[in-house]
Order: sequence, then C-alpha cells, then structure tokens
Amino acid sequence: MDIPAMRANFAKAAATGDEAPLYFYSHLFLSHPETRQLFPVSMAHQRDRLFAALGDVVARVDDLEALVPILQQLGRDHRKFGTLAAHYPAVGGSLLATLEHFDDQWSPELAKDWTEAYTLVAEVMIEAADAAQEQPAWWEADVVGHERRTIDVAVLQVRPRTRYDYTPGQSVSLETDLRPKLWRYFSPANAPRPDGLLEIHVKARDGGPVSSALVRRVGVGDVLRLGPPLGHLALDAASDRDLLLVAGGMGLAPLKAMIDQVARTGPARRVDLFVGFRTEDQIYDRADLQRLEQDNPWLTVTYAVSDDKSSALEQGDVGDVVLRHGPWLSREVCVAGPAVMVEDTVSRLVQHGVPPQRMSSEVFAPSRPGPSVDGEVTE
Amino acid sequence: MTTDQNESEHGERGLSPADLQNVRFTRASMLRPGYVDTEVDRVLSRVAEELGRLYAEKAALRDQVRSLQAQVEGVVIPEAPSEQAVRILSSAQQTADNYVAEAEEFSRQVTSEARATYEEEVRQARENAGAIIQAAQEAAAKMSGGAPVGSDTGQRTVEEMEEQVAYLKAFGQATRTQLRSYLESLLDAIESEWGRADPAALPPEAMRPPAQRAASGTTTFVGNTAGDISADEADDGLPAGAGSRSRSRSRSKSST
Repeated sequence: MDIPAMRANFAKAAATGDEAPLYFYSHLFLSHPETRQLFPVSMAHQRDRLFAALGDVVARVDDLEALVPILQQLGRDHRKFGTLAAHYPAVGGSLLATLEHFDDQWSPELAKDWTEAYTLVAEVMIEAADAAQEQPAWWEADVVGHERRTIDVAVLQVRPRTRYDYTPGQSVSLETDLRPKLWRYFSPANAPRPDGLLEIHVKARDGGPVSSALVRRVGVGDVLRLGPPLGHLALDAASDRDLLLVAGGMGLAPLKAMIDQVARTGPARRVDLFVGFRTEDQIYDRADLQRLEQDNPWLTVTYAVSDDKSSALEQGDVGDVVLRHGPWLSREVCVAGPAVMVEDTVSRLVQHGVPPQRMSSEVFAPSRPGPSVDGEVTE
Repeated sequence: MTTDQNESEHGERGLSPADLQNVRFTRASMLRPGYVDTEVDRVLSRVAEELGRLYAEKAALRDQVRSLQAQVEGVVIPEAPSEQAVRILSSAQQTADNYVAEAEEFSRQVTSEARATYEEEVRQARENAGAIIQAAQEAAAKMSGGAPVGSDTGQRTVEEMEEQVAYLKAFGQATRTQLRSYLESLLDAIESEWGRADPAALPPEAMRPPAQRAASGTTTFVGNTAGDISADEADDGLPAGAGSRSRSRSRSKSST
C-alpha cells in the first residue's frame, strides 16, 4: 500500500469541506436506497462525523496497534444503528467513487490500495460486531417514571426489558422514537440494581431535539432504546481511599451513581460531594441527595451557587468552594460537569497538590451525539 | 493393449481424449489378422459409458445455468448513479438539512428568550416582594417601638402589616407558579411545532394544533389574579430580553 499517495488523495477530498461527504452519502443512498433509513432526517452532523472518523483512520493506517481497537469499538457500536455486514461493501463502493470524483490523478493503483485498506477496515469492524453477537445490538427499555424537577430538567426511571450491565460512571446512549436515529449519551445516576432500574437525568437544551423531547414529551409507558454502555469515568477498583466528588450541573448523575456504588458494595470510605449550580432553584435533585446524606453517615453534600446572591448556600464557582473546604490531598477525585467547570476545578486541585493520576474527569457537553473515534464519550 | 494409465484408475478418472489417442491394440495372431476383439469391445464400452456420463453432466449443468439465469434476471444490478442524480439528491438533502437547522435554531431562540423572561420576572417579583416586606417590617417595628410618630403610617396596625406580608409572600409564590405553567405551555407548543416538521415521529394524539395548547395556557394565566401584575410587568420584562444575552453567557460558564 502506498500510504503517502492515499493520504494525498484523501486530503484532496477532505479539502472540499462539506462537498465530499455530501457526494458520498448521495452516492450511497442512490446506489443502495435501503441504507437511507439508517440515518436521521438531517445529515449535517453525520457528514462532519464521517470525514472526521475517516481522517482519523487514514492518519493511523500505518499504526495498526492503535487503529484496530478503535475500529473494533466502532464496529461494536455500529450494531445499534442497525448496520449489517452487507452494508460494508456498499459503503466501500461509494467511498471509492467519492475519492475518485475529487481527484484528477486517480489511478488504478490508488483504487487497488483503497480497496485493500477498506476491506481490512471493514473486516475488523465486522469481526468485532460478530464477536459482540451474544449481547443485543440495543436494549428496549420502558419508561416507568418521569418527574419534572425544574422548568427544564426531568428525572426518568427506565427499566430495560433484558439484563443491562454497566459500571457506575459509565454513559448510556439513548434513542427515542420521537427523534429517530438521533442517539445521545446520558449517565445513569445509580449503580446497577437488582430490579434493573436506571435513573436518567436529562436537561432540555434550548433547541436540542432529543433532550427537549425526553424532558417534555416522553412519559411513563414510552419505550426507549439503549446502546451499549461506554465511558471511562469509574472508581479505581483497587483503591479504598476517601472520595472527593465534584459535580457541575448535570455532571451530578455519574457521581451520584458512584455514591450509590459505595453504599451498595463498599468499600467503606468517606465521601464528600460538592454540587455546583448557577442558582439555588436549579438544584433539581436536592431532596434525594438529602435522603442519601441522612441514610449514609459517611456522606457529606455541599452545594455551591455561582449566580444567586439571595441564596444562603455557599457562594462561588464550585471549584473555589471545594478548596475552601480542603485539604483534599489524600483523596481520590472525580470531577464531572461542563468543560469550563471541569478545567477550572481540575487545575485548582492540581495546584492544591492532588496527584493528577488520582483524578478522573468527564466533560458534559450540551450535545453528546456519540463517541469520537478515540472512544471519548464527549465531543 | 497399452494405455498411459493403469487399468484400475480408468473407472474413477473418466476417459480423456488423450487416453483414446494413446490406445494401442495388440495385433492378433497370424490366423486372425486385426486387433484383439475383446480389447476393442472393452474400449468401446468404456467410450460409451463416458459419453453417457458426459451427457448427464451436460444436462445437469444446463439446468444449473437456467436457474442461475432466472435468479440474475430478478436482480437489478445497481448501476453507478449518474453525476446529475448525485447532484440533485445532494441539493435536496442540503435543503432538508437547512430546514431542520432553522427549526432547531428557532426553537432554541424562543426557548432561551422565554426562559430569560421567566427568570427576569421571577427575579423582579422577588425583589418587589422583598422590598415591600422590608418596608412593612420597618413600619411595623416603628409602630411597635413606641408611639406613632409619622401620621401617614399611624393608621396601620401591626396586624394589618403582618397580614400584608403574608399576602405578599403568597402572592409571590402564586406569581411564580403562574409564570412557570405559562412558560411550560409555551415550551410545549414549541415542541409540537418541532414535531410537526417530522409528523411521522409523533403519536397521532400529539398532532393537536399548537394554537389550542397556547390558548388553554393563556386562559389559565389571564383568568388568574396574577394576570394583571404580569401584564404590568410585561413592559419591563420584554426589554429584559436584551439583558438576557449577557446572562446566558454567565449561565454557560457556570455549567447548568
């Protein structure tokens, strides 16, 4: 394979911006109309993602050790979209047609190299998808509880119809029939329970089709689809250090799941949870956190508000409030929330002297359409 | 008779043209010129056998070809789409994408403006209530502190003041509830509009015209005692939309 030539060829297509992916999908849908139903109505985000993913693959094509796990993850994750082995040749054909269309110097050698490379990629993805065959491509789950906590936050109780395994801190991708083919990631706010219930916290983002529908239209009796769990936020299984958990806004969910984990399975340890919101009214889960605090003497919950002068709670950014309560040098730390809050809190704690390897964090972005090719859950 | 192959192998391998060319019959005795009859007979019978086998195989192959042809005829081999078709579909897709993006943007704007208005009204209502309560408490303290000094507050009793404080607290609560239900009906209407852009995605009952929802929402709102207050404040509340932008910046910063 002449990798430099392939990269040069790919760069020509990528340089056209939206045009090449637009050509690719139109070519695919015209030559294999049955593939259209695998995609949402609006293809705008899809197009960005396709070429970003292809670019990642092309960049690593000479580093199979790094590439193969990424492709395996992609292959497994594509099962929930309804992707079948038969779709891969269709995609390969349209990909080649696209690469040819945007290159005046297309040659039989390039065609041969790309065919070889694509066949390899497809084989790895199909193999990984087949290897995951014993677990379902997606899980149907009934909404058994739907509670509006504030003007734009709802807490859903969801019961998968078949066994659904995950670890506290992981994220679950989720689709509703109201917004077909749009998958978004949410973190369950509880550890796995004997009754299988998942508690899902959703904030309706302004103009966000999925989150708004989950908050304002979905109700008890509706069915959601869940994809396989994903994500890297997790408690260190080998450690029983005391915990410091810092949540900004909806970042509360995975941290609450960790508290639930400590309560259910231990090991016994002190847990300090700091929850930051803009105003006191927005603390949507206060009653439940108070109940947890009463039931578990090892848990302390502190609230911080950053923009609510009339509140009697602690004032300031949550990272600032955390430091006022230190020292935290011996703790294992988890931080989850919006990008700015996570960055701010992590850098404050590093300055404070907490070793970075004892800290894990996850950014909760307004739209979390799916994992990147690196396996990151967030954008 | 000699051939290239061993006799025993012939039956399994079949008879090739080369086998026939290489057959050498043994000359018979001087008394009876020509080949040995038995050898010739044996070769002939093998040739006949082989021909029969080939005919049968040919027939089977012909059947196979026919059934494959029938299959192929049913399948339309996808032809590479023409450049023109790709262009047309591409521009149709872009048009659809733009409509969806516009709908989302519209929904985003209306929702965030509605929320900003809601927050602003709640804030003002709270401030007003707080100011009135404070004034009432000051007046009450003055009266209970000694003989009425000012003639303008003198007519009010402490009970009246406390009553008013309680009323204002309840009033503030009612205003918030009203605003929230009004805002929710508005957001609900936006959601149905979103759904109308993709009717297949909605259950039939949700297809009510949004006007009805908005109307019912407004009715409860106006029918309530708090209606006139928020109408008064609407003048102050609307320009607050401009201020809302700076607030939404701080919101995104602070995470919620």
